[in-house]
Amino acid sequence: MERTEQAPVAAPTAPTAPPRTTEPAAVRMPQRVLDRVHAFLVLLTERPVSLYAAAMLRIGYGLLYLVFLLREFPHRDEMWGPGSPWTPALARQMFDQSGWVSVLTLSDSRVYFEVCYAVALVTCALFLLGWRTRAVSVLFAVVVVSFHARAIFMADGGDNLMVLMAVYLVFTACGRRWSLDARRTRLQASAGKTAGRLGGGLRHQLGDARIILITVLHNCGMFVIAAQVCFLYGCAGLYKVQGVKWGDGTALHYVLNIDLFRPWPELSQMIDSHHVLIAVVGYLTVLVQVAFPFVLFGRLKYPVLVLLLGMHVNIAVVMGLPIFSGAMIVADAVFLPDRFYRSLGRLRWCTPWPTGVTGAGASPGPESALVPPQPGPAG
Amino acid sequence: MLGGVESTNVKESQRTDAEPAARDGGGGLRMTRDISGPPRLLTAGTGAAVALCLAVALAHVLLVFLHVAPPNAISKAYSRQIDAWVRPVFEQNWRLFAPNPQWVNRQISARTKRTAPDGTTRVSDWIDLTARDNSVVKHNVFPSHTAQNMQRQAWNSYLKTHGGDNHPRSDRAVMIQKYLRNIAVDRVAAQRGGTFDSIQLRVITQPIPAPRAAGGFRPAGAASARAETRYLPWWKVSSHGTD
Repeated sequence: MERTEQAPVAAPTAPTAPPRTTEPAAVRMPQRVLDRVHAFLVLLTERPVSLYAAAMLRIGYGLLYLVFLLREFPHRDEMWGPGSPWTPALARQMFDQSGWVSVLTLSDSRVYFEVCYAVALVTCALFLLGWRTRAVSVLFAVVVVSFHARAIFMADGGDNLMVLMAVYLVFTACGRRWSLDARRTRLQASAGKTAGRLGGGLRHQLGDARIILITVLHNCGMFVIAAQVCFLYGCAGLYKVQGVKWGDGTALHYVLNIDLFRPWPELSQMIDSHHVLIAVVGYLTVLVQVAFPFVLFGRLKYPVLVLLLGMHVNIAVVMGLPIFSGAMIVADAVFLPDRFYRSLGRLRWCTPWPTGVTGAGASPGPESALVPPQPGPAG
Repeated sequence: MLGGVESTNVKESQRTDAEPAARDGGGGLRMTRDISGPPRLLTAGTGAAVALCLAVALAHVLLVFLHVAPPNAISKAYSRQIDAWVRPVFEQNWRLFAPNPQWVNRQISARTKRTAPDGTTRVSDWIDLTARDNSVVKHNVFPSHTAQNMQRQAWNSYLKTHGGDNHPRSDRAVMIQKYLRNIAVDRVAAQRGGTFDSIQLRVITQPIPAPRAAGGFRPAGAASARAETRYLPWWKVSSHGTD
């Protein structure tokens, strides 16, 4: 993430360099390296990168998990409740072996479970809206981990990804944009309240240290998220390369014929009858997945992201895996730069929304003043 | 560790001259401070915390990489440390349809047995449990995990823990066996009702035939893709058996 954002980010920090380089003609190597390190540290400690992408992740995963919980409402007891075939006793025994934990197995009472389920719904909704985001993000991670751990034998790759992201998001400042928190901060700013700026001396300094740490945590979190998505595609692609069926271009034929992932048999059959198409799409899938980690640093990432989007939409429809595909699409969205999201925001709200500084830790980028007032297109 | 210490030092030594520059760059609002400057202890503490964050993030990425990569010299040597960090929360598996996609369809059926007080036993017909899942998935925009994953993954786990025979050899295997039995019991009860005291599963594995070659004929081996049937032992059920 840091890398991908370095191009736009370098501009504002560039002015910091000239005063330090005393001999511009022959800049010596150690000096250049020091400058690089310095620029990196400034970026790391002072500029929270990709705040919009973080907000996108928050909205995306909050919404997906909410939809997932609601979708499984009729099956909630079967999946996570005391009436599940994976009984609370079995789950607890498994936790002892695997190290997972879940609030859901603390009690076998049906009422307790229903309360947990309701709390989970509310948590997802609040997380999605970005209300007291940091605290709610911890709660959201607890919810996702608890439900995942309870139904560990029902999870697919999408659930796995959502667990990871829910945990990583705790460390990010994902509530700075498109959130109720941002709205509150903006209202406070326009009302002339300068919260937290009143303490003097040590208190002030502690505040500064806190802001630096929050920024560093956020940047590290975004870096880990980006690396995680790269690992995902790298693995998915490279392990496929080892497969004979992907090699001979028939893999998708088998995928299209798995009964449980064929909600529209007619559609699957129709696609399956085009051998050339099957081979081309199969090869493209492998190629794009393998290429993914390597194209992120150039312009080529946009066509690749579009291809992946198309692939996931197809998986969602053809294989009946909307949550899985949604989780992947949201993960891809982390690689879109802030200027993309800002233009998206301007597109939605045709008039730019001029606001002041959106809070103590707001990204000090030149365009950071244009903050759309409400959550944007949600996943 | 050395790297961490170094970056802390760099951080501290640069903090002083970074400040005025940061103000120029527009980030100054946050960095304004009193004339006295922050106490050394606070600066050092912040620097150490920054270095720690960075080190943990990098270590995490490295450990996750070793976890998802194929087994190699490094991951074998440090498997204990990797597992300790990665499991359970960061556990992951991205072999999505890889190396090869599943190339069989499985049909799981169950039948039940009831022993009357006089000792006579009555065995039911086979009830197709998979057909139920398939019909629920069909023409559904948003199929439930209970249809797509529950029985399928339970059976996959059973295969993994039991292998070819039906004797559980580990705690995990016993647990999975109970899970599979409970699923079957619940589904039979939902589909047919009635009481029974034991249940048996039958799993028919039907390979998906290879695609027709472009010329219109199948490769010689394809026609011989025969279904395989596996019978599991009768399992006792304790009053709709959940234990």
